[in-house]
Amino acid sequence: MTATNEIPLETAQAKFTSPFDIATPAGAEGWESMYPYYALLSEDQRALDEGKFWFFDGMHNPEPLYPFDTIMTENWWVAASQMSTRVWPVPPALGIDHRIINGYLYVSPNAVSDPEEIGRRAEVFGVRAGHYYGNWDSIYAEWEVKANDCIERLKAITFAPLPDMEPESSVFGHTGTYSSYRLLTSYGELIHNLFEMGSYHFEMLNLGYGAYLTFREFCQQAFPGITDQTVASMVSGIDILLFRPDDEVRKLAKLAVELGVADLVLANDDPHAALAAIGGHANGAQWLAAFEESKEPWFWFSTGAGYTHSDRAWIDDLRLPFTAMRGYIEALQRGEDIRRPLDAILAERTRVTDEYRSYLPTDEDREAFDGLVEIARKVFPFVENHNFYIEHWHHSLFWSKVRELGEVFVAHNFFDDHEDIFFLHRNEVYSALYDLMIGWATGTEARGVTYWRPIVAKRRAIRETLSTWSPPPALGVPPEQITEPLTVMLWGITPESVQEWLGVGAGGEGGNGVLRGVAASPGKVTGRARVITDPEQIHEVADGDILICRITAPSWAPVFSKLGAAVSDVGGIMAHTAIVSREYGLPAVVGTGFATTTIKTGQLVEVDGNQGIVRVLEEDSK
Amino acid sequence: MTSPHILWIDDPAAPGNRVLGGKFGSLAEMTKAGFAVPPGFGITTTAYRHFLEAAGLAERARQVRAQAATADLAAVTALSAEFTAEIEAAPLPADLEQAVRDAYAELERRTGTSLVPVAVRSSGESEDLAGASFAGQYDTYLWVRGADEVLTYLRKCWAGMFGTAVLTYRPDGHEVVAGDHGICVGVQQMVEARSAGVMFTLDPVTGDRSKIVIEGCWGLGEGVVKGDITPSRYTVDKVTFEIVTRALSRQEVQYRFDPTTKVVGLLPVDADRQDAPCLDDSHINELAKLAKRIEQHRGAPQDIEWAVAESGDVHVLQVRPETVWSQRKPEAPILEKKSAVDHVLMRFSGGKLATKAGS
Repeated sequence: MTATNEIPLETAQAKFTSPFDIATPAGAEGWESMYPYYALLSEDQRALDEGKFWFFDGMHNPEPLYPFDTIMTENWWVAASQMSTRVWPVPPALGIDHRIINGYLYVSPNAVSDPEEIGRRAEVFGVRAGHYYGNWDSIYAEWEVKANDCIERLKAITFAPLPDMEPESSVFGHTGTYSSYRLLTSYGELIHNLFEMGSYHFEMLNLGYGAYLTFREFCQQAFPGITDQTVASMVSGIDILLFRPDDEVRKLAKLAVELGVADLVLANDDPHAALAAIGGHANGAQWLAAFEESKEPWFWFSTGAGYTHSDRAWIDDLRLPFTAMRGYIEALQRGEDIRRPLDAILAERTRVTDEYRSYLPTDEDREAFDGLVEIARKVFPFVENHNFYIEHWHHSLFWSKVRELGEVFVAHNFFDDHEDIFFLHRNEVYSALYDLMIGWATGTEARGVTYWRPIVAKRRAIRETLSTWSPPPALGVPPEQITEPLTVMLWGITPESVQEWLGVGAGGEGGNGVLRGVAASPGKVTGRARVITDPEQIHEVADGDILICRITAPSWAPVFSKLGAAVSDVGGIMAHTAIVSREYGLPAVVGTGFATTTIKTGQLVEVDGNQGIVRVLEEDSK
Repeated sequence: MTSPHILWIDDPAAPGNRVLGGKFGSLAEMTKAGFAVPPGFGITTTAYRHFLEAAGLAERARQVRAQAATADLAAVTALSAEFTAEIEAAPLPADLEQAVRDAYAELERRTGTSLVPVAVRSSGESEDLAGASFAGQYDTYLWVRGADEVLTYLRKCWAGMFGTAVLTYRPDGHEVVAGDHGICVGVQQMVEARSAGVMFTLDPVTGDRSKIVIEGCWGLGEGVVKGDITPSRYTVDKVTFEIVTRALSRQEVQYRFDPTTKVVGLLPVDADRQDAPCLDDSHINELAKLAKRIEQHRGAPQDIEWAVAESGDVHVLQVRPETVWSQRKPEAPILEKKSAVDHVLMRFSGGKLATKAGS
């Protein structure tokens, strides 16, 4: 089996900058030490890597990677790739390769070009994928059991500083292993738990995307120009888990009004002050009980893509759900109905589907349409719900466990702050833990007490420098075709977007203030740009602002109600954002490549979510 | 007002009535269904036959048509010139003339406008039959004012039935559409159009029935119909009403009534409109919804002429069945016949969906 690139090298086509020609920004020298050797470019493999097409995965990692956080990218480097390469050998596609360049993740899909090999893979693929499609619902039910079990085991993992004296229970229970060993094995369990969930992540995902993509292509052939959001609206579920956190907030808003504690929510911008005030109210206990019930698990809802520890969940930062709750309470006080109109949404889905069907030219087409709608609707609950189980619930919980471990290092005087753990790669953490155990075991100062602080300080400075560098959307040699389904579905990378980037990169279009991307949500709006590169800044948006970001996250939705429109550098039709932003009716253009680097806060911009075009109309008027 | 020669399009007997010809019969249906059709009346096919009989031209008309069906083009041209001159010179029966004058006066009353400008146009019995649209073959006279002018153009429309193009019209390269074609002449209040054009309730290029294609220009829609003004073109999704594509066209001249020459001609477009779209998004949306309602009402794809008045009101000027795709046998299916799972598996095998060869 050989991984080849899809580009005929003799073709004299436009290229992006070679990944080997990317200079390190001044002040970021030595960044490579933060990442594992296998994720870096190397002179040994220059011939292999230079001819490939590398695109920036800003969708999952808009910021420079923290060393620890590479666990997420490393996970899918294997977990997603092995599915296409070896589990269901997708006939023309292998896995997706990774490189970290100046702290940012670049990925490259590998293709199979030998027709015989494609044929051999197709046979195996047909049998295996056919089994999954044929038993989808029961396999998905099994999947939910596995996912829940994995999360329960993750919850059970705890980290505590090693005790001054080993407890008696170890001695009189004759355990033979002690706190040090449990600390080390708990860490192992934590890491393996992540890889376990990471593997479930892709068990059904590529197949789900493939079925949906097939339906989408059929629609595009039958109804040229049909928009992606219309295709999605025909199969999208109405009771998907991603809406549940918001539904819980609506429920809590309603209960607050009923119990007479609504004014306490409105009067306190600080959620903790609001909770304290409610606690003092006669009906407070009842509301707080409902609040606690909603939180588990629905507030394990990441404010980002969930792939980095800096994507805090609602449960860590209650400002987002409380901002939303205040909005719902005010709506209720105006006498509005804040329930999502489920019947109307479902009726609209039926109407749209039936109507397109009626416009097909032949009975055979209607038969094909019916079959493809059915299979797309069958796979969609998994496609939509896996996000909640994995990126939101599991991964948010995972990050909180890593912080718990960070506290152990603080207690043992390795770090000043539990967040410092994220400046160590997971394998360095394993070494540091062993170092900590040695110190505990021997009763002397561990080497780590003086070893890690300067390294953490240096890495922090490097990362800050790297975060001011703008990663180009693509590097290397662009492909003629893209066969890897995830690349198209998730990142929205098509030959057209590659050409667009080439034009902008070469100074062709960037200068006239026009950016093109994927029309993710319809509508046309003009407003002042607000460029957000750090999720923390999301609270700064003002009414009517046009959000310009590397990527939007579904849990930003409560803030979306303030926005005029959203524009992102990265993302395709099935990006986490697209699903929810369509529901909120916010005009959005995703996958523009360069919005955060070409648009500046304060500029007047027009966002055309029908056409996928963003125009800068005038400079900052302030 | 019960002359057999005149039938108002809002008369209960009007919808689909053969004496109004295809176009006007359809407009009567649209009026009845509540669409915004400008008021007007038809000078019926009965009136036309009455005229031919009274002038002693009925038998000649049949002969001319029969001869034209087999003659070469030069002979048809000569025949046409000779017979149209006879029609224009023949006397009009007095009862018919009076009926037209009375009807025009009634239209002035109804619109509250003396010398109300009207469009005078032919509405043939045979159009819409056998897939023959007779598109562009019949005459339309715009901005006609006063009963005398209406009578003049009435004759021209009748004479136009014997124009060379009509006599030799072969819609599918088959037989000349022969027979005893009656003609109604419609008289309808002019819409002083800010912009106007045509729209189809399918994509006329691909046959995709999930689209509405709108072509429009500044001024009257004449230029779009004739083809001497390149229209702006919008494709709208018929299910969601999203505007899928827009091809804007710069426009320097437009068809408008010229107050100096008193006729409709090509006049300059205001400088600030030349590069501007002739329709804003809300009008595109309104037109598309209108087209969809008309198609639903008529039960088949339609070709619709429309106008937007300076006031912003949208009017339906003409509806007729779409004749190209509607006649065609459905193409081969888009996909090869196989199970949905097999289609998905094929998709993973690379490239596009397996489409039916030759479609």
